[in-house]
Amino acid sequence: MHGTDSNCKSTAGRTSISARRTFLKQSGVGLGIGALGALLADDSRGATATRLPTDALAGLPHHRPRVKRVIFLCMAGGPSHLETFDFKTELVRRDREPMPTSLTEGQPIAQLQSKELRILAPRARFVPCGQSGQRISDLLPWHRKMADDICVVNSMVTEQINHDPAHTFLNTGTITPNRPSMGAWVTYGLGSETLDLPAFVVLTSQGGRNPQPIASRQWASGNLPSRYQGVQFNAAGAPVHYVQNPPGVSQRAQRRLVDTVGDFDKQLYRRVGDPEIATRLAAYEMAFRMQTAVPELMDLSGEPQHVFDAYQATPGDGSFASNCIMARRLAERGVRFIQLYHRGWDHHDNLDKYMKQCCELTDRPAFALINDLKERGMLDETLVIWGGEFGRTPMSQGSDRSKIGRDHHIKGFSMWLSGGGIQGGTTYGKTDDFGYHATENPVHIRDLHATMLDMLGIDYRRFSVRSQGLDVRLTGVEEPKVLTNEWT
Amino acid sequence: MRLRRPILVTIATGLLLVAGEGVCAETTIDFNRDVRPILSTHCFHCHGPDAESRAADLRLDLEEHAKSEELGTPAIVAGQPDESELVRRIETADDGERMPPSDAGKQLSAEEIATLREWIAAGGTYSEAWAYLKPVDAGRSPPGGDKWETHWIDTYVHETMRDSGMAPSPDADRITLIRRLSFDLTGLPPTPEEVRAFLADQSPDAYETLVDRLLASPRYGERMAMFWLDLVRYADTVGYHGDQNHHASPYRDWVINAFNNNMRFDDFTVAQLAGDFLPSDEEQNLIASGYNRLLQTNHEGGVQVKEYTAIYAADRVRNLSAVWMASTMGCCQCHDHKYDPLSTKEFYSLAAFFADIDDTHHLTYIVNREFTLRRPEITVLSDEEEAAIARLEKEADRIRQASKAKVLANTVSVESPQKRLAEIDAEVEKIMKSARRIMITKHTTPRVTRVLPRGNWMDDTGEIVEPAVPATFGQLEVEGRRATRLDLAKWLCDDSQGIGGLTARVMVNRFWALAFGKGLAPNLEDFGAQGEPPSHSKLLDALAVEFVESGWDIKHMMRTIVLSRTYRQASNVNGQMLEIDPYNRWLARQARFRLPAEMIRDNALSISGLIVHEIGGASIKPYQPEGHYRHLNFPKRKYHAHSDERQWRRGVYMHWQRQFLHPMLAAFDAPNREQCTAERPRSNTPLASLTLMNDPSFVEAARGLAARVLLIPANSDADRVDAAFELATSRQPEQDERDKLLDCLAECRQDFANHPANAKQLLGVGLAPVNESLETTELAAWTAVSRVLLNLSETNARN
Repeated sequence: MHGTDSNCKSTAGRTSISARRTFLKQSGVGLGIGALGALLADDSRGATATRLPTDALAGLPHHRPRVKRVIFLCMAGGPSHLETFDFKTELVRRDREPMPTSLTEGQPIAQLQSKELRILAPRARFVPCGQSGQRISDLLPWHRKMADDICVVNSMVTEQINHDPAHTFLNTGTITPNRPSMGAWVTYGLGSETLDLPAFVVLTSQGGRNPQPIASRQWASGNLPSRYQGVQFNAAGAPVHYVQNPPGVSQRAQRRLVDTVGDFDKQLYRRVGDPEIATRLAAYEMAFRMQTAVPELMDLSGEPQHVFDAYQATPGDGSFASNCIMARRLAERGVRFIQLYHRGWDHHDNLDKYMKQCCELTDRPAFALINDLKERGMLDETLVIWGGEFGRTPMSQGSDRSKIGRDHHIKGFSMWLSGGGIQGGTTYGKTDDFGYHATENPVHIRDLHATMLDMLGIDYRRFSVRSQGLDVRLTGVEEPKVLTNEWT
Repeated sequence: MRLRRPILVTIATGLLLVAGEGVCAETTIDFNRDVRPILSTHCFHCHGPDAESRAADLRLDLEEHAKSEELGTPAIVAGQPDESELVRRIETADDGERMPPSDAGKQLSAEEIATLREWIAAGGTYSEAWAYLKPVDAGRSPPGGDKWETHWIDTYVHETMRDSGMAPSPDADRITLIRRLSFDLTGLPPTPEEVRAFLADQSPDAYETLVDRLLASPRYGERMAMFWLDLVRYADTVGYHGDQNHHASPYRDWVINAFNNNMRFDDFTVAQLAGDFLPSDEEQNLIASGYNRLLQTNHEGGVQVKEYTAIYAADRVRNLSAVWMASTMGCCQCHDHKYDPLSTKEFYSLAAFFADIDDTHHLTYIVNREFTLRRPEITVLSDEEEAAIARLEKEADRIRQASKAKVLANTVSVESPQKRLAEIDAEVEKIMKSARRIMITKHTTPRVTRVLPRGNWMDDTGEIVEPAVPATFGQLEVEGRRATRLDLAKWLCDDSQGIGGLTARVMVNRFWALAFGKGLAPNLEDFGAQGEPPSHSKLLDALAVEFVESGWDIKHMMRTIVLSRTYRQASNVNGQMLEIDPYNRWLARQARFRLPAEMIRDNALSISGLIVHEIGGASIKPYQPEGHYRHLNFPKRKYHAHSDERQWRRGVYMHWQRQFLHPMLAAFDAPNREQCTAERPRSNTPLASLTLMNDPSFVEAARGLAARVLLIPANSDADRVDAAFELATSRQPEQDERDKLLDCLAECRQDFANHPANAKQLLGVGLAPVNESLETTELAAWTAVSRVLLNLSETNARN
């Protein structure tokens, strides 16, 4: 269905006209901006139907949501499933043997194009963990402790083998340009739970092998209105671009600026009647609130030491650990979609060294985050997803045994989910004996998207937006599987 | 239904009623306007052009199929809705039978069902999609008699307006007019002097004179380029993965010059698509042919050549079809179009036109450097560089001749001619190396183009195709040879043998949008079944015919449009107007909207007096937040803002980093130019407010404005406030506005007097030198007031 507030020129119907009428009546002359009659209209290119940032799209949620928000721990670069969650004895047995061509023939391949393909045994030890006995590698000792809190999916499948398009596919469900990222979709559908912060926030960290670039398109709003785009928070400098007053401008002076501009704009609104001016008033008001709320959010001085210890974080270091604390703080403040990138998982060489680095930087913080959410009673209402844009080949890359690595792999890899009633201690799906093809219960990226939407109370079939003549869905044109029942 | 004009019924009391839902409107149903959108949205997906997804062998996009008895009860029985299977199936209460099926996600509204019924009752006649019909000239004679109409454009607009029960808005006042014209035609505000001159010009052709002056300004080409560069997705970087810089900026300058020289649009088209085939003016045409190289490219290690060959081909087809045909061919990469008569085979046949482009370097992994070589490229010398080389070569000639004549000692004061010649060579080489380069198009032996089943590049089973245009658009005739990009480009602009008329319609719709904020056909990029039909189809057609007949004269078209009285209306709205025509479809007023991103910048720079006007050159780098590029890699990137006068040049010259567009551009909806953008959204977000308040470029501009008004001879604060206000808004403030600003000034003065360190800090923003003769507290206080002015909606809007 189309909501009344898409920026799509063709979908504005009568509801939006009457909404506008109501709006005009309400706003009249004395626009109650102080009390935050924060009516934010969407892009003016079509109609400007008014909708509070905290309003869901008309008709949403479609059904009772299991979770309110999503925290996506994106392991950028493509972590090896074979050294983390998917243990293969066959690889141990056949280490250094040529890879059976029956598996690899006609398959997409990245840097190993026209190279000899040899099997590489797992470079980590696996043991059964928790009550469930999930097998997790010794590179992730803290994950072993939360084996019973996570559902590992060992049968992920994607369609793109190079980083940039694979990320785009993971985030938007397609490589067609200008499509909304999943965070934008979710906030477009459900709105925010806060008026002081953006509804979709992105945090990044790095460490490991030469970090993959991440384009801002990964959190773009595509053909949805701009306000649904993810806002990147920076660990260093201004936390959000231009959120700090210019040098020499006090908070009082900034308030005076906002108020004086507001006075003029209100007067102009009375004269010319353009509803867009009212929207602008609200935007300035929200901008000012952000200028207060963001520093408060970023200020970790109120967090007790035991929290830093648990996450193994140093305040302000921009590490994945600090970002995990921030993710919890954002969740507490009502941010709808929180995406953390850790860049450094692209282990074409020196797999041993870099896996160790990446795991050390991310293992304990992820554990701490899950526990923290649990202790605060928030895990039930939060879906946490861990995974990268693809996995890595069972074949080795590089001839120097001491610097060996693995190439990109898209036909079978691992992710995990937790929270929102996800059944912990379970494993879903399987790859073949070589960890190459997802053979049992393959889970395509679109299935992940459809399930995530479903858990948020959104029916993917009825959640589309018109773009270039098409009704675009996050899940794309192929039918996805909703796996909520299988996973919860 | 939304396109049907509301019928206003005047009742004896004089009360106006709008016919809407449930009220029987007395218009005849127009298939393209009223019916096709419903069928397209709800039915074509399974009963349309795409054979693969077609259900029950039924096509509703073709009249003969819809009315055929072959499949049993015809879907449509002319004049008899109750006998029509279509009507039965959309009205039935049986969930299993009802169309569209419940899992389609979209249901027909009662209004839509009523429209379909009404249409079938009236005969259920189809008409060919408007976008594929050649524009028809319904007349372009000067209006006679009517008081309001001054131009043939007005006659069309007025008629539609009257039918909708609306009357034109009064003319905008002169200040509004000159602001509107200046922004629309040059992207800049008028100076106070220009405003005063226009107000003082009492001659009857004052307005025309102004229009002609603006069209002749070199700023016109810069403004028009902003719009064109969005379409062709011009950027400074490759887009994928490492997002390294590529050589493209001479193309941008070529576009600016083309608009300034008023190059014919057909020539403009041919040079870009096929400049490498043109014999004359080689360098300029090769620069133009850079168009074919502007697409996003990927240089990640591990790129599969076949995959990216397919991706690039598709990208080029998407861009060509969006820019020149307003057609969404992109869908056909994987399947026949769901809504428009375009097939997968036609998509790949169109791709075959581009199969001769030398793409070797777009598919090669080359050492990761900030600036990458993507051959074929050429070096483009600036006038200065050219002159320097000429000077050096002349000197070398002199030396050589002198040494031949062996009269060295007398004529050349060089000790060692050989050494000097070597130096000259080195200097020339140095100039050549530092000169700008541009990726150009070079035709080579065409690659084999196959239809890729479901878009799968690994599937080699598809049939081989030759270059051809989609049948819906006609044919491209070449005698017994392979058609080329040159043939294609000419066909696009050939009114008799090609689709010139259609192309003209696509373009004039966009020219119209430049002057009204939106097109006559609302979807600037999609004229297909899923796009809305034009609100004024006859006018759109007449403009298209005018464009062709004028010799594809773009300035003539811009001039024609802005000379209309329709254009000159006021843009003020009231509740009643919003009620009757919220989206201003019937043009009974002009439009008011926020300036596009680049103009937001240009406007502030102009008001501050900091702006530097210079055409062309390498892209410029304004201040940018620290760390904005920290996610770029291969290689890592450090942004160095320019520290000279490039800092104050226009937005059109800004460095366009596809993956991390300058946050100011992004906050005001400039696209990242990964693909064609025919229409930018206009959002109003807190991030945009933060930018305008806190971005150092705008803080510096505020300081510039402050210094500017402090330096004018004035007797009082009030005079200076008036001057600043006028610079920002082109008008004098009202008394209460003046008072408000004076109050603000007084408070700021007090603040800065109490906290002199703050004043110093504020004035330290930006590289523009601070005028030492100005007192710090005073300059800071006026800077604060100027920040208010630069943040006003009125300052940043065109109305």
